[in-house]
Amino acid sequence: MSARQAPALPTRNRKSTMAQQPETRISATTPRLDVAHLAKTYGSGEKSHTVIEDLTFTVDAGEVVCIVGPSGVGKTTLLKCLAGLHPASSGRAAIDGRTISGPPPEMALVFQDYNRSLMPWLTVRKNLVLPLRHLKLPAAELKERCDSALAAVALSHADNQYPWQLSGGMQQRVAIARALAYRPEILIMDEPFASVDAQTRFDLEDLCLKIRKDFNMTILVVTHDIDEAVYLADRVVVLGSRPARVLKVVDVDLPVPRDQITTRSLPEFARQRTEVLSLIKRPA
Amino acid sequence: MKESIRPSAFSALGIAGALVIWQVLAAANVAGNALPSATTVFATLATILGTGTFWSALGATLGIAMLALAIAALAGVVLGLLIGSFESVRYATLAVLEFLKPVPPIVILPLAVLVLGPTAEMALFLVVFGCLLPIVMQTVDGVQGTDPVARDTARSYGMGEGEILARVVLPSAMPYIGTAMRVAAPAALVVTVVAGLLGGGPGLGQSIYQAQAAGDYASLYGLVIVLGVLGLLFQGATRLAERRVLHWHESYREVVP
Repeated sequence: MSARQAPALPTRNRKSTMAQQPETRISATTPRLDVAHLAKTYGSGEKSHTVIEDLTFTVDAGEVVCIVGPSGVGKTTLLKCLAGLHPASSGRAAIDGRTISGPPPEMALVFQDYNRSLMPWLTVRKNLVLPLRHLKLPAAELKERCDSALAAVALSHADNQYPWQLSGGMQQRVAIARALAYRPEILIMDEPFASVDAQTRFDLEDLCLKIRKDFNMTILVVTHDIDEAVYLADRVVVLGSRPARVLKVVDVDLPVPRDQITTRSLPEFARQRTEVLSLIKRPA
Repeated sequence: MKESIRPSAFSALGIAGALVIWQVLAAANVAGNALPSATTVFATLATILGTGTFWSALGATLGIAMLALAIAALAGVVLGLLIGSFESVRYATLAVLEFLKPVPPIVILPLAVLVLGPTAEMALFLVVFGCLLPIVMQTVDGVQGTDPVARDTARSYGMGEGEILARVVLPSAMPYIGTAMRVAAPAALVVTVVAGLLGGGPGLGQSIYQAQAAGDYASLYGLVIVLGVLGLLFQGATRLAERRVLHWHESYREVVP
């Protein structure tokens, strides 16, 4: 992956919650997302439980990076640290060199459990509007954001329905549309396609790649599906477990645009997935 | 077996049966003049319905019950949100609330009458006292039952704590609050009547007391029938309101995916 574009999108969601640090200087070498020696321990003393010991990796602007690892490795904990929901115990995660200390305004999160993350009392459109209210956008822009986000996930017709009236795949598309309407520069997805059927999963993976292309977004996906990781990613961060650490960062050299049939039948695809799989399967 | 039972037909049959049994028992003179016949009671009821005193008593009962219910709902939900959201408030209040919860309003009725006299305020106080705690407790449960994923979603989008409370926590606590209201509404009516019957507060309770004191059993039974109907109406109204507010909830959804 060579063509790493600078972020073309200006920061649109104000009210930065980042700590302004004196050493902040965005240079060409500053990665978009920088995780350095991140550790997370719950509790203290004898009852303490270290989920993440020492994680270091970066995500460049416009990249799709997938994080794979055995289940229970602490992937969700990592995302919560990145999203500013949990403070890191030590080390740091930073966006453009600024340490994340609260939910970053340029980041949106898509959860695995769409049926818990979408509000059942709100229609699809109102679910999209909910996180935008505090941005105090003009009504016309609010509408435009929702319209284009729903169009991007092909759900314009469903805007007046309730999430529970839709299929699982459609609900996850609503959750993605909600993230798109927020106009993030960095999209983080936690096992986003784990709760949908295989066919829908392929469609959503392609939607993810389309979003990266159309919106020039930086995307970080946590998944336990190795094929999915190789198919989606420019780079795959392979985690080892208990406590979580980076085993290897695998560069995926598959041609773009990717296609569910041709890409997955490439010998190179098989080689890459074997590399990732053997890393995970290898006894620690 | 064919599922051809018509619920309304059987309900009507049940009511008719009860009335017939009542009429027969009264005719057999099982309880002397303490049990007037159904026909006498309904005839007396028709006369009562034509009097202004009845309607002002009915108005007083409904006014007290509904005003108290509204006060209890508003205060209960606000308190419940606070107690449920802040651990310090929860620990500070929970012991007291748990202590007060099993105290029935009737126990503090003498005290309320002593302080406030046989007034509408006394009745109002008793009803609020009786309805507030269940609403508070249910709201607290609802707040604590809020899905952490929904909260995390809201927080990750930079929504403030106040906004999350109003737009995420409160709506997801609504099913709990709805249940509390369904229980509280008939209870409000009951306590209002008790406040009139035993505490001398205005309304139908007082009318019943007066009928009883005068030995006018036909009127007494007539008023009790009115109360029964009122209770049904209260129950139905809260169910209807609940269905409207919670149309999105699993138990009320009309479209199953």
